Amino acid sequence: MMNALRWWWGILLAFSLVALARVIVPLPFVLEVLIFSVYTIGCNFLLGRVGFISFGQPAYLAVGAYGTAFYLFYWGTNPYIGILLGVLSGLVAAAIVGPLFVRLRSDYFALVNLALAVIVYYLMQKVLANITKGDNGLWFLTNIASTPLLDLGKPGHFFIFALLVAIAVWAFYKYLDDTIFGACCLATKINEDKLKFLGYSNYSVRLLAFVIANTTTALAGAMYAVYLGFVSPEITSPSRAADPVVVTILGGTGTLYGPIVGAVAYTGMKDVISKLIGNWELFIGFLLVFIMLAGEKGIWGSLQPWLEKLFVRKKAPPATGEGSGTQQ
Amino acid sequence: MTAQLLTSGVIFGLSIGAIFFLMAIGLSLCFGLMRIISLDQLLYYSVGAYFTYSVSVASGSIWLGVLAGVVVGGITAFAVERLIFRRIYERELTFSMITSFGVLIGGIGVIKFFWGVVPRPVPMPLTAQIDIVGTEVPLYRLVVVAIALLVYVGIWLFLNRTITGKAIRAGIENVEHVEGLGINVARLFTITFIIAGALSGLAGGLHAPLIMVDPNMGLEVLAFVFMVVIIGGLGSIKGTLISAFLVGQVVSIGSLIYAPLAQMAPFAIMLLILLIKPTGLYGSALLKK
Repeated sequence: MMNALRWWWGILLAFSLVALARVIVPLPFVLEVLIFSVYTIGCNFLLGRVGFISFGQPAYLAVGAYGTAFYLFYWGTNPYIGILLGVLSGLVAAAIVGPLFVRLRSDYFALVNLALAVIVYYLMQKVLANITKGDNGLWFLTNIASTPLLDLGKPGHFFIFALLVAIAVWAFYKYLDDTIFGACCLATKINEDKLKFLGYSNYSVRLLAFVIANTTTALAGAMYAVYLGFVSPEITSPSRAADPVVVTILGGTGTLYGPIVGAVAYTGMKDVISKLIGNWELFIGFLLVFIMLAGEKGIWGSLQPWLEKLFVRKKAPPATGEGSGTQQ
Repeated sequence: MTAQLLTSGVIFGLSIGAIFFLMAIGLSLCFGLMRIISLDQLLYYSVGAYFTYSVSVASGSIWLGVLAGVVVGGITAFAVERLIFRRIYERELTFSMITSFGVLIGGIGVIKFFWGVVPRPVPMPLTAQIDIVGTEVPLYRLVVVAIALLVYVGIWLFLNRTITGKAIRAGIENVEHVEGLGINVARLFTITFIIAGALSGLAGGLHAPLIMVDPNMGLEVLAFVFMVVIIGGLGSIKGTLISAFLVGQVVSIGSLIYAPLAQMAPFAIMLLILLIKPTGLYGSALLKK
C-alpha cells in the first residue's frame, strides 16, 4: 500500500495541481495544457529515452484527429468510439511507417518525419479535399451524442475525461521507465553496440518505442478533435512542426514531468506574450536558444534537483532508510 | 500538354531549382565542415529578401537591393556564428538543429517587429521576355539560373584553387588533421558560415521579385530546401546542384500534370530515395564518421 502510494504520489500531486488550476484560470487554458502535455510526452519519450528527434509529430497528431473526425462526421455519434478509432488509426499509421523510419539516423529521422508532416498536410488539404473538405475543415460538434456518466460534449465533463486520460498516460510512461523495455530504450540511445551485445535488437526496441510514442500523439489528436469539434489541415501545418520539440526541451528532455511544466509554460507564454507584444516567436526562439546554451536542462530539469534537495532536507531525519522520495 | 507550356514549365523549374541550390549549398557546406545542421540559413534567406525590398524601395535599384541582401545576410551569419554557434560546434547534431531552429524562430520575430506581417511586393528588375523555341520566357528567370551556375563555378574554383578552399575541403575529410597542420580551424568555420549566410541572402534577394516577401517565407521553403540537401546527400556540393534542379523540375512539371501533386511529389521522391539509399545520392563517404 505504502509502496503503491509512493509510486503514485508524484503523478497525483502534479495532476491535482492542474485540477486546482481549473479554479483559478479559465477552462480552455487548462484543457489546452492537458492535451498539449499528452501531445508532448510522445515526443519527450522519443527524444529523451530513445534519442530520436522528430519534427514530424503533427503528422501523427493529424492522423489521430482525422481518424476521430471521419468517424464522427460520416458514420457515428459516440465520441468514445471516435477517440478509440483515432488512437487505432495512429497505431496503424505508426506501425506502417515505423519499420522504414527507425532504421534512419537521428538527424535523417527528424527530416523524414518533417517530410511526412508536409505530405499529410497536402494530403488533407488538397488531395483528399473531397473527404476532408480542404481548408474549411470538418465540423462535427453537433454530431457528438451525449453519453452517460461523462458527457464529452460538455467542457466540464471533458475536462475530467482529459484529466483521467492524462493520469493514465503518465502512469503508463512511469511504468515504462521501470520496465526492462524502458532500460533498453535508454541503452539504445546511449550505446547501441552494448545493447546488441546484451542480446537485444536495437531495431525492435526502437520500433516499439516509436509506435508507443506516436500512438500517444494520435491520442492527443483524437482528444483535440473531440474537444474542438472540428478538424482542419491547419493541425499538421509544417510551421507548427517544432512545437512539441520546443515544449519538450522547455520542460526538460527525458524527465517525466517536463511535458506538463513545458506545456504550462509554453501555453501560458503564448497567451501572455501574444497579448503584450504580438509576436511571441521572438520570445520563444530566443528562449529556446537560451535554454540550449544554458545546458539544455529545461525548466523542470533545472528545478528538479533543487526541489529534491529541499524535499530531502526536510524529510531527512525520519526517512533516512528509504532514500529520496522524489522520483523522476 | 503543349510544347509551349512545357518549355515555360522547364524554365520555371530551373529558376526554382536555382534558388533551392543557393540555399541548400550553405546547409551542405555547414554540415560537411562543421557537422551542424544550420536551420538558420532560412533566416538569412528572409533577411536577404527583406533588405532587397527595403533598399530597392529606398534607392530604386533592385540589383543594389540584392547586393545589400547578400552583405547583410553574411553579416548576420557572422554575428550568429560568433554569438551562438561558436559554443555548440562540438555538441551532437540534433543539438545544433534545435538551437538553430530557435535562431530561425526568434529571427522571424525580429523581422515581424521591424517590417510587420504584411507581405511586401518587390518588382521585377528585368521585365524583358526572351524567345526560346517559340515560347516567351521571362528573362529574369534565366538570369537567376545563370547566377546560380556562376555561383557553382565560383564555389568550385574557391574550393579547388585557393588555399582556404583547399583547407575547407580537407576539413570536410578530417578536421583534426587540418588543425594538426597549423591551420586556424575556428577561422575556417567562420569563413564557411559567412559564405553560407551570404549565399542564403543571395537566394532570398533573387527570389524576392518572384514571390511576395513575408516573414514566414523561410518556413515555407524549409521543407523543400531540406529535401534538396537530403536527396543530394549532406555535404556534397555536386549532389546538391543535381538534386536542386531535380526538385525544381518535379515541383514545376508536377504542377502542370496535376496541381495538388506539385507540393507532395518531391517528398514522395525523397522518401523513396532515402529508403533505397539512406545517405542520399552523393552523401555516402562523408556520413561514415
